[in-house]
Amino acid sequence: MSGPRPETYWDAVIIGAGHNALVTAAYLGAAGRRTLVLERRERVGGAADTVQLARGIRAPGLAHTVGRLRPSIQKDLGLARHGLSLVSPDVRVFAPSPGGGALTLWADAKKTAAGLGDGHGYLQFDKRVRQLGRFLDDLGRSTPPDIKAPGFGDAMAGLKLGRSFKGLGRDGSRTVLRVLPMAIADLVAESVEDDALRGALAWRGVRFGNVGPWSAGTAAMLLLDGAGNDGGAAGETVFARGGPGALAVALASAAQAVGVEIRTSAPVVHITSRDGRATGVVLEGGEEIQARAIVSGADPKRTLLDLVDPVELGPSLGWRAGNIRTPGVVAKVNIALKKLPVFKAAPGDESLLRGRIVVAPGIDAMERAFDATKYGRWSEQPILEATIPSLTDPSLVEGAKAGTHVMSVIAQYAPYDLADPGGAAGDTALRGPGGWDGRREDLGDTVVAALEAVAPGIAKLVSHRQVLTPVDLEQQYSLSGGHPLHAEQGLDQFFVWRPLLGHARYRIALERLYLCGSGAHPGGGITGGPGQNAAREILKDLSRRS
Amino acid sequence: MPQRYDAIVIGGGHNGLVSAAYLARAGLKTVVLERRHVLGGAAVTEEIFPGFRFSVFSYVVSLLRPEIIRELDLPRHGLDILPLDGTFTPVYQGTGRTPPKDGNGNPIGTGDYLWRVNDHGRTVRELRRWSKLDVEAYEEYGPLMVDMARFIKPILAIVPPDPASIDPRPLLPLAGLLRSFQKLTERQQAVFVQLMTMSAYDFLDQWFETDPLKATMSASGIIGTFQGVRSPGTAYVLLHHYMGEIDGAFRAWGIPKGGTGGISNAIASAARANGAEIRTEAPVARISTGRGRATGVVLESGEELEASAVLSSLDVRRTFLDLLEPGTVDDEFEAEVRRFKFRGSSGKVNMALDALPNFTALPGEGEHLRGAISISPAVDDMERAYDDAKYGRFSERPYIDIIIPTLVDPSMAPPGKHIMSCFVQYAPYNLDPSLGGWDSQREAFGDAVVKRIAEFAPDLPSKILHRNVQTPLDIERTTGLSEGNIFQGELSLEQLFFSRPVPGWARFKTPIRDLWLSGSSTHPGGGIMGANGRIAALEVLRSMRKKA
Repeated sequence: MSGPRPETYWDAVIIGAGHNALVTAAYLGAAGRRTLVLERRERVGGAADTVQLARGIRAPGLAHTVGRLRPSIQKDLGLARHGLSLVSPDVRVFAPSPGGGALTLWADAKKTAAGLGDGHGYLQFDKRVRQLGRFLDDLGRSTPPDIKAPGFGDAMAGLKLGRSFKGLGRDGSRTVLRVLPMAIADLVAESVEDDALRGALAWRGVRFGNVGPWSAGTAAMLLLDGAGNDGGAAGETVFARGGPGALAVALASAAQAVGVEIRTSAPVVHITSRDGRATGVVLEGGEEIQARAIVSGADPKRTLLDLVDPVELGPSLGWRAGNIRTPGVVAKVNIALKKLPVFKAAPGDESLLRGRIVVAPGIDAMERAFDATKYGRWSEQPILEATIPSLTDPSLVEGAKAGTHVMSVIAQYAPYDLADPGGAAGDTALRGPGGWDGRREDLGDTVVAALEAVAPGIAKLVSHRQVLTPVDLEQQYSLSGGHPLHAEQGLDQFFVWRPLLGHARYRIALERLYLCGSGAHPGGGITGGPGQNAAREILKDLSRRS
Repeated sequence: MPQRYDAIVIGGGHNGLVSAAYLARAGLKTVVLERRHVLGGAAVTEEIFPGFRFSVFSYVVSLLRPEIIRELDLPRHGLDILPLDGTFTPVYQGTGRTPPKDGNGNPIGTGDYLWRVNDHGRTVRELRRWSKLDVEAYEEYGPLMVDMARFIKPILAIVPPDPASIDPRPLLPLAGLLRSFQKLTERQQAVFVQLMTMSAYDFLDQWFETDPLKATMSASGIIGTFQGVRSPGTAYVLLHHYMGEIDGAFRAWGIPKGGTGGISNAIASAARANGAEIRTEAPVARISTGRGRATGVVLESGEELEASAVLSSLDVRRTFLDLLEPGTVDDEFEAEVRRFKFRGSSGKVNMALDALPNFTALPGEGEHLRGAISISPAVDDMERAYDDAKYGRFSERPYIDIIIPTLVDPSMAPPGKHIMSCFVQYAPYNLDPSLGGWDSQREAFGDAVVKRIAEFAPDLPSKILHRNVQTPLDIERTTGLSEGNIFQGELSLEQLFFSRPVPGWARFKTPIRDLWLSGSSTHPGGGIMGANGRIAALEVLRSMRKKA
């Protein structure tokens, strides 16, 4: 290019200000690229959100922990300087069972093992998760190879991955191939005997997925969850002070510090394109913005089906995009409590409640909870992951009466498509998202009842309650199907084919169109991984073209 | 002085017999040792009731490798495969569509059925009754799957590489596969990846909306596995249907004349013609070893046989945990063997019938009875049947694949009478302890199967002369298949290719020199394919040539 560039000239325009989009923006900005972020809502963060539950009471909107965020991102972007303050309680997981017993998983695996009947098996499992997690972290940091026309870069990346693979050792490398497609129930059973412990460990293999512990590929989900962080068998439990929204604020601040412009309440309705090349975006008000790279932080289905011109997309890719699996099965229940609830298994010991409280009492119990979704019902005995962030971060309730606490509950399983309760068995015609109308609070009651079973009296302590069904998640967070991971994290939507084979290298569908959100490799969760990888690829293309 | 052979094959199932035929053909002095009085393993024909002969276990053939048929000249040894045409799926009363009309304008049956046949035009007409969209999808789906099957078929003849090994040579056949993968269109590539990773239901749901169509098609994805139609990893088996070849004809499948024992007998005859010795009622008690290598076997009678190579066509658990002295293989390998999952999930009910049953949806003795009759009226039914099994119960309303072989091969029963073969899923090997075990549940299971079929053919109970129920425990007892798994081990993703049966030991060799595996526990898995037995024999021959 030559001559003066127009005032409105952008190197990159990014659709959405979720945490991945902000990560991409910050890296592009740091590289001197003129970058504009357009957010539909009035605040940044997407699923990394802090919501006002009641006056003076704030709660995590969707995600509630941030411990998977890549350390390199925290360092590169100087997030601590931009106000991010993390809290890592010593207890990672407290897993009470309705029978009154409980397991506690600590940051220190040895300490955990000492308190378990099956400490040896736990340590073995911890070691395995860490060993295989390292390889998956290497995998997660690399851009999926171009299998159609592999170039020199792909060969180098392949060599690097190959080294990482060999680094697992002979047995490790055989193991990783055997383990990835496994069911998490089988993987945990190879190490531990106790069903309650199996349940607590297996939970991360199914979290946010339309799968049960017996589903193939759930072992990979667990290993991905532990990749690149200090989770190990217990998994990470790290809070952002001020709620997950504070992470988004820090990311936004880091991005703005390197010149990124962020506009909120600026919904993008269309991606403009010409001759197979993305040229810009159109805002709801009709404003058109052009850029050299169009980057979508929205999920791939929404990006391709709602924003891209269907003619440009073509019927074949349109068909494939329509079949990206986004079966949301998670509901979020946020509760304000008049005082701290008492758990049967931890009377008077609030320190045990500072981590994640996981109610997944055994493999069969989890599988039964999953069964319900297959027939369009929510689980009567859902699996829960609850946190009480106000225990470690009183700022969340500083405007409320003393003793108030806030509890964030991920409840699984609640299907996006609900069967009509009056419909005949197998009658699928009556199913649909509309089925949730008028039943939201019933689901809330089910979740509170499940909490009541492990913390009797908790129902009476509830002062405010917010129930987000998958349909609510879709509407409020723009998640297709209400899927928090943007697309199911299954073996069929993994690595070289996440979200679609031939479109997994952050470049998607059109020339100059990029995907930087959880729908891209290495997938969902608050990791920043897709955003960081996408920025690397976008910068490569931008410098090649200028 | 023990008798000396070049090769001993343990087990006279179809794979053992195939191995023996190839070894003998290469001039090796070979003996097959079969425990039972009858050859064939799970591919046997037996006269369970006077005058009624049954393919007791395995009952159809679609994957027998054409190169085996050719190289062993099986038709000359009596192999004759009769085609099965179509799949008839009765659905619940009132859930079907308007019935088609005959030449006189009268409705054919009640319309509560879905009936696909090999004749494409007829199937399309039938599908149009259900969904116009599905007709379009079907036209596209079939050819696509044939392309997929063509692409993947070579893998059935590959010796899997060890991904952890530094020797690049075994990777060469894979390079060829990668090249042909690159030649596929992007959409074909994507569909192939989906086949390898998705659930049968999710895969089919991309094309079709007709529920009984999806239920019936996805059923082939769960045969012999402890998985449901919505379980990831089940789509791949859909391809098997398209890989099946009889005399080169894609997709056709059928039943061997004289039952599946007919195949075993043909292979046995070919093996004998090549000079192999076949001994029945010769159960092997253990494999003899010395200095880390297999030296022969000892029969239960005490008789000892020596050989330069011992091939076990038994499953990996039987071979290493039952036939070897404890401590012969190292702990790590033994742990891997113990880890290998069997989890038998299917049963079989064989019935002798006085007359043919009448299906409410399409009464009479029409052509619809000559193919497979699939009791799979709804996807949710399939999934609920699986749910029962997950918690240790046999399915109250199981999926059943019914064949009436006497309609294509009347020699199996006395004139005018029929046999009916019912493959049933799910019947978990490990029942919930509160049920008291399979010996007390066998007839209850048989009753559930009859009751389920009677939902669609109410007069069936009155036509049953005899009933023979094979639970997974019975299958294990009779054939020796661990936990009654018909494929000698689950065909789940982590137990395929280079992980089958043990990661690093997928090349038919074992840690004990001169002991080889040649059964379905190895790549490419189960079914009456014979591929395992053939590749194993060729690997043995290759290693012998190297030594010589």
